[in-house]
Amino acid sequence: MTAKLAASGLTKRFDALEALRAINLTVAPGEFISLVGPSGCGKTTFLRIVAGLEPATSGEVRIDGKPVTKPGGDRGFVFQNDNLLPWRSVLANAMIGPEIAGQADAAARRRTLELLKLVGLEGFEHYHPRQLSGGMRQRVNLARALAIDPDILLMDEPFSALDAQTREIMQTELLRIWEQGRKTVLFVTHQIDEAVFLSDRVLVFARRPGRVQENVEVALPRPRTLDIKRTPDFVRYVDHIWRLIEDDVRASVIEEHA
Amino acid sequence: MTAADIQSASRPAAPAAAPQPSAPRAWAASLRRHYLAGLVSIACGLALWEVLSRFVVANPLFLAAPSQIFVAVLSLSASGELGRHIAVSGLEFVIGYAIASVIGIALGLAMASSVLAKQVSQPWISGLYATPTIALAPLFILWFGIGIWSKVLVVILLVLFPVTINTEAGLRTTSPRLIEMLRSFGATPRQIFIKVSLPSATPFILAGLKLGIGRGLIAVVVAELFGSRAGLGRLISQSADAFNMPELFAGVVVLAVAGIAMTAGFGWLEGKLVPWTRD
Repeated sequence: MTAKLAASGLTKRFDALEALRAINLTVAPGEFISLVGPSGCGKTTFLRIVAGLEPATSGEVRIDGKPVTKPGGDRGFVFQNDNLLPWRSVLANAMIGPEIAGQADAAARRRTLELLKLVGLEGFEHYHPRQLSGGMRQRVNLARALAIDPDILLMDEPFSALDAQTREIMQTELLRIWEQGRKTVLFVTHQIDEAVFLSDRVLVFARRPGRVQENVEVALPRPRTLDIKRTPDFVRYVDHIWRLIEDDVRASVIEEHA
Repeated sequence: MTAADIQSASRPAAPAAAPQPSAPRAWAASLRRHYLAGLVSIACGLALWEVLSRFVVANPLFLAAPSQIFVAVLSLSASGELGRHIAVSGLEFVIGYAIASVIGIALGLAMASSVLAKQVSQPWISGLYATPTIALAPLFILWFGIGIWSKVLVVILLVLFPVTINTEAGLRTTSPRLIEMLRSFGATPRQIFIKVSLPSATPFILAGLKLGIGRGLIAVVVAELFGSRAGLGRLISQSADAFNMPELFAGVVVLAVAGIAMTAGFGWLEGKLVPWTRD
């Protein structure tokens, strides 16, 4: 199977700070991969480089064999803060991708309405962001990225601002949506249990410099429901990953409070 | 509770139409809630003023009572004099305000999009904004005559800067996150400007235009005080020369009403154009 996405020797420096050192990664089409690690381990920077929002210092990312130089319609980005335009309705927000590509025609509108239905926002198409809850805003965020029908979804801690219950619901919703399209997903998160629950593979990042510490294959059966979080296998994965990053997390917490 | 229950509970419920009370009654209720205290306050103020001027000051040379001002407004309107003054001042204001808005927004756009334009104009704008340029009105009258154009120029000078400064600030403070979101979809700088920068600067631009109303009215009146054939400033200075306090106050009242009405109109416009800033 050919790689959907391949990073080789990817390095990123911000002046003296080495954010990422020699990241190598190969992702198969339809794979769901999570990136976890302590604050400052470069996982979001990695995602932004893949998105084409940030240039790499050296090394490269290839998608379908072609090097990434700028954002493109083959990648949809789901932001941590929903970044919805407050003056636009839910539908107009979700349509921004096709609109920028100059393809905001009736067909795109129909597709986007379908997507809004898929993410559970039927009946809210003409609401404005300020009328929506945090969970609903993230649903729009997801639909907006899906509206350009990307091959790869890049998700940057999309559920981190949500309360614990809403986050669990959004996790199952995301899996339900993913099962229908099987897009390739790179999902950045702080939550280890979220990463294990969602992914085929969890990349555990370490900090200073940011690098991949371990590549954990998650061999839990799909489709998954929330019940799986209480199985011994699931807990073993979570414990394992937590032990990998525990020291780093403590160090970063102490630094943040220093 | 099963997982399915949780799932359906957290799904956004279908939007339900809230039962609406009958429109006039809702309107009256909202009037009571928002404006009652203000109206009572104004009524008490007017009553106090009336009592003060009739029984305490008791000298129409120093203070006119609201009732006397009301009579003066009526008689000035009946003679057509008030209408003439309002027409002249209104024309000066509208022409000056319109020109200042167009130039001010254009200048603000230029400053936000070009570093050079900003460096060239910033010292002038900062300097002139803080300067009471209204003091130059006599000079403009000397240059452009006693007619409306000298006043129009003063209005432009006073309204221009808040509009420019706000337009520039609004464009400059566009959320970098929103710009990045657009960039992730491959937006060009032009698309970013039209789809994000401009709409997010609109509340700032409107705020600048709103500030311009009060400054524009001051510009009209003060410029007319320095020399004019007609206008509310002329009415006020004439009345002052003749010690006709009711007519002097009549001019001031008309200006106050115009200011309040235009500011309220702007508030309404903001509700229509930029409703997302209202929470």
